[in-house]
Amino acid sequence: MQSNQSFADVFRAGGVSRRDFLKFCSLTSVYLGLSPSMVPSIVEAMEKKSRTPVIWLHGQECTCCSESFIRSSHPTIEDIIFNLISLDYDDVLSATAGHQLEDVRRKTMKDYKGKYILAVEGNASTKDDGVYCMVGGDSFLNTLKETAADAAAVIAWGACASFGCVQNADPNPSGAVPISDIIKDKPIVKVPGCPPISEVMTGVVTHFHTFGTLPELDRFGRPKAFYNTRIHDKCYRRAFFEAGMFVRSFDDEATRKGWCLYKMGCKGPTTYNSCSKIQWNAGTSFPIGSGHPCIGCSEPNFWDKGPFYTRLAEVPFLGSDSNADKIGVIAVGAAAAGAAAHAAVTAVKKAKAGSEDNDKA
Amino acid sequence: MGRLIEEIYVWRLPVRLYHWINALCTVALLVTGLYIAAPLFNPPLGEAVFYKGMSWWRYLHFAAAFIFIANFLFRLYWALFGRDKYGRFGGFRPWSPAWWGKPFLEQVKSYLFLRSDEPNYVGHNPVAALAHFLFIFCGSSFMIFSGLAMYGENNPGGFNSVWFGWMIPLMGGSYTLHWAHHLMAWIFPIYLIMHLYAVFRHDVVDRSSVTSSIVTGYKHKVEEEPV
Repeated sequence: MQSNQSFADVFRAGGVSRRDFLKFCSLTSVYLGLSPSMVPSIVEAMEKKSRTPVIWLHGQECTCCSESFIRSSHPTIEDIIFNLISLDYDDVLSATAGHQLEDVRRKTMKDYKGKYILAVEGNASTKDDGVYCMVGGDSFLNTLKETAADAAAVIAWGACASFGCVQNADPNPSGAVPISDIIKDKPIVKVPGCPPISEVMTGVVTHFHTFGTLPELDRFGRPKAFYNTRIHDKCYRRAFFEAGMFVRSFDDEATRKGWCLYKMGCKGPTTYNSCSKIQWNAGTSFPIGSGHPCIGCSEPNFWDKGPFYTRLAEVPFLGSDSNADKIGVIAVGAAAAGAAAHAAVTAVKKAKAGSEDNDKA
Repeated sequence: MGRLIEEIYVWRLPVRLYHWINALCTVALLVTGLYIAAPLFNPPLGEAVFYKGMSWWRYLHFAAAFIFIANFLFRLYWALFGRDKYGRFGGFRPWSPAWWGKPFLEQVKSYLFLRSDEPNYVGHNPVAALAHFLFIFCGSSFMIFSGLAMYGENNPGGFNSVWFGWMIPLMGGSYTLHWAHHLMAWIFPIYLIMHLYAVFRHDVVDRSSVTSSIVTGYKHKVEEEPV
């Protein structure tokens, strides 16, 4: 296969009609929040530009991001994109292995110096020189630094690469850090989620391919098009929230009626993602749609903000697990006890002073 | 018994108004805020579309919050430009070591029963000034900034999101910001207990009518008569 094929060539070779190809371009522009006038730009980029080479590294992770990506809602088209993005290196999906594969990575880095996208799934262990994550005979920390050096841009797939996820949850035994702590001099787009939605992933790749730049990012470095609003703001159960109709236990009548999961610890009100808009698995459903509260998997350090099934996070306080209300009540109690004790001492002192005065008189 | 020898107009009307509006708003904000965090009431019967069980609590919280903010800004204005001897921030200079010197230590010692006599202040004593700075100024500022950041979350790119949204990454995410807002709310009942206790105690010990002064504006000096 030629290495400089365009997406359109690949689509044709895969038996995708021009009509379906245009549908894909329109849909992607909608996901990216672009105006209809931008559709021709996407079509043109897809037809004329040779595919962007991608090196996809896997660090400490579970491969759920890849699993999500290959289950996108438009399998024919997006599967082709995925398989033929010119995904030059992906140690999990490649047919080759070992030195052969590592040579491919180095060749791509040399041939497309400063032009390839580095996609990183998972994060790097930094403790003890990164020995807790070894890939291809070297620490992932070294591989990541080496591969990032000549990349045009870096995509941090998933919560691991973006924020650290379960690996850097307390007590973080391997010293895992998000890749933005390691790669400082390259533009990074964070696509958090555990895993991210496949349409979001293809959308980010398409944006880069079309415009040659990363999409507009928010304060956390996430693409605004997908992470601008909270799950809560587009949630179809929002009406139940506003009405004060909540599920109170997983086996009550309200659960069957599909009321709001706020009291069951739903993190939708504090989670920025597109689940309630794009949904999962070809728009089939999303966690809240299946009756489970959102666990906030696309938010930083969501593992340490548990439990998943209570609204208020538990935090260590005075040697035991506590929450904001317990700490508050203890502090108010301490203030009241302090005031009472102070009042008692004042009263005793005053009585003493009074009796001394009387003695003098 | 003591004899009233002087009547001093300490708390001018703007200060008294601020005090009571602030007190009411703080109580309203605490009650509605705790309810929003853990809604207790039973759900209504029927279609969700006819009810506003949660919206009302949120609405009251936001309404009280905007009155609280306006009142807070008004008090800042009055402190800086009001030319009010007892209502300004002029005497509070924690950056200067001199401020932490004799008057402050004397007041601390008095509160710790290390001195038998009470230093007399017409306005706030230095310990009270410090407490107000920490609890009321810093505490309210944090609650206002974090609150507006959360208020702006449902309109990304809007005024509150642009001007206060930086609080979200600063606190490490929206959830942590909510959590910190919730935790910090507890400083207000703590302050309330200490404040009420200190006021009642000073009234009993100094007999300066400090309790009624926040209604009438007047404090009194009492002279001990020889028995």
